[in-house]
Amino acid sequence: MAWITKDSAGARVERRDEPYLTAEMRRDLDERILPRYERRAGALLPALHMVQEAYGWIPHQAMMEIARHLGMTPAEVLDTASFYEEYWLKPKGRHVVAVCRSIACEFCGQQAITDAVREALGIDVGETTDDGEFTLIELECLGSCGTAPAALIDHTLHENLRPADVPRLLREAKQAHGH
Amino acid sequence: MGKTKYDGTPRHVLCQRIPTPPFGRFEDRHVVRYDEYVRTGGYEALRKALSMKPDAVTEEVKKSMLRGRGGAGFPTGLKWTFLPKVEAGTDPGPRYLAVNADESEPGTFKDRLLMDYDPHLMLEGIAICCYACRLSRAYIFIRGEYHHQAMVVEEAIREAYANGIFGEKGLVNSAANTGGERFVVDCHLHRGAGAYICGEETGLLEALEGKRGWPRIKPPFPAVKGLFGRPTIINNVETLAHLPLILGEGAAAFMAQGVESTVGGPPSYGTKLMGVSGHVNRPGCYEFELGIPLRTLVEEHCGGMRNGKKFKAAIPGGVSMGILDTDQYEAELDFDIGRKHNVLGLGTACPTVFDEDTDMVAVARNIARFFKHESCGQCTPCREGSGWLYQLLCRIEEGHAKTRDLDLALEIATSMGTMPGTTICGLADGNNWAVRTIMNKFRDEFERRVERTAVPVKMTIGAGAKG
Ligand SMILES: Cc1cc2nc3c(=O)[nH]c(=O)nc-3n(C[C@H](O)[C@H](O)[C@H](O)COP(=O)(O)O)c2cc1C
Ligand code: SF4
Ligand code: FES
Repeated sequence: MAWITKDSAGARVERRDEPYLTAEMRRDLDERILPRYERRAGALLPALHMVQEAYGWIPHQAMMEIARHLGMTPAEVLDTASFYEEYWLKPKGRHVVAVCRSIACEFCGQQAITDAVREALGIDVGETTDDGEFTLIELECLGSCGTAPAALIDHTLHENLRPADVPRLLREAKQAHGH
Repeated sequence: MGKTKYDGTPRHVLCQRIPTPPFGRFEDRHVVRYDEYVRTGGYEALRKALSMKPDAVTEEVKKSMLRGRGGAGFPTGLKWTFLPKVEAGTDPGPRYLAVNADESEPGTFKDRLLMDYDPHLMLEGIAICCYACRLSRAYIFIRGEYHHQAMVVEEAIREAYANGIFGEKGLVNSAANTGGERFVVDCHLHRGAGAYICGEETGLLEALEGKRGWPRIKPPFPAVKGLFGRPTIINNVETLAHLPLILGEGAAAFMAQGVESTVGGPPSYGTKLMGVSGHVNRPGCYEFELGIPLRTLVEEHCGGMRNGKKFKAAIPGGVSMGILDTDQYEAELDFDIGRKHNVLGLGTACPTVFDEDTDMVAVARNIARFFKHESCGQCTPCREGSGWLYQLLCRIEEGHAKTRDLDLALEIATSMGTMPGTTICGLADGNNWAVRTIMNKFRDEFERRVERTAVPVKMTIGAGAKG
């Protein structure tokens, strides 16, 4: 997480005419979120969450739109967005499988779970399937140590996992709505 | 003077409405909504608090000697008194409460229990704290991965607003109804986005301000200059959840639980949520009085060690705390533990337990990887040291290291965080304690994994020997 070097000079921002921050999102920000904070920048994390929810990732253009809406510079928004692991600054799969690799999970059989996902999807940790359906990552402790090993598939936590559960969970995720 | 030893009787305070062994079954847990909460005595303590002067509420909390449940064990009432004083009847301007619901320390899953099942207990604590400290707004900073908990808490906040706990209008908030001071408090949920360091209290404030979660240099302390430069109190979810008991039944009721210090330190009063994980038969989140020995917790309440294996080691409460050795199974889980058992402290009191088959080199490597991944990168000893430590431990685990690498690893660990002022926050210190205590307490295991550093000795034997 710590140290991402930004290609400031060579970065090209892909543009599209239609704004990412829709009128509806702006209204929600203005009416529900912004009054909660003494300064507009306080709404930055919620705004980034909003865009990420809608598109599955946060394009540069969206960051510039958020910056303008919150009265910040695009650089400030990028600085914050690039710090947090949950924000994807590049497109990812429609579904994210995040296996916990921290202390309780590793020593209660996490490797077999990661391996089962790798085998089922034919990808390694950090990769996305060719059809763009799944991205596999490993995360630190998910706060589910008592029911280790655990994994998040999109927003749903799966506990007490066994390798045999993996194909079914992936099938169910695929049927559910993703990004 | 309370007791100095755990008396063996389970008592539930935080889990009154959350079925928990030995009084209830994990399977029977359900979300307690506003109606059920009130029906079972909820928000009575808030009403009582509102009939008192704010300073009297703070006094009661100070008297109880409640200590923070977020990891550091700082006395809660004392922290509150660091706020600038407010003259009665004057408006001090915005003052904030930041509720630490970031819960990302590996091995820790206790605040989650309250947010999963009894969110109003936390909200009542928040309301009491805001009244006592004259805070105008509370932000619950919840980690991004807690999607389900965020939903439950959002719904509970909505119920609390609808019933006049928070906001301008309602039954509880008018001074006329209660006899105390005016009480108008806002409460909002703020979701994190996957960064352990936002659990550090000033990193959390930065995230609330829309910045990267870089811990701040202190002083100024948050109580004086915190969120948006305003006076701010930061408390853990579980700390706040204790307030309804302390106000409702009085400090003495709280102090009747837990134990006195036996090493001349401050006492460990009250109960504690204890999330037990690892190689035990019935892992899960329990509630016991502080002072319960780890062995009692595991053997009597968690069904003992899994597969009939022997106990080898445990982390007392989050990986930052270091490790308890095989012969420290009797360690009492209270705030004395650091001084008695050569660990950093009690931490979150969520033990992760390892059986005899556990590879301690792998444990150290796992923890070092965590810290390398989560170092925020501001301080050189932490940013660089955590990377080197992880590399060295990988090398030791893979069998490519030499004896001198053990000393090098220890030297790096020791040099990060122990010297005051070289790092901004406690993350580096946690890294140091974790790696150092594992390497020292299980030194032989590490030595078996490394190649002896051979010192070449010139020797010529036999026929070719000259002179
Ligand atoms: C690196 C680091 C991570 C922390 N993470 C958490 C956390 O996730 N939750 C928490 O309550 N406290 C955490 N703390 C402790 C907080 O800084 C702070 O002491 C605590 O929230 C104060 O609340 P309390 O006095 O009620 O315990 C962390 C501290 C450090 C140094
Ligand atoms: S000690 Fe580490 S985590 Fe803490 S502020 Fe410094 S670099 Fe960041
Ligand atoms: S260690 Fe995996 S959920 Fe905590």
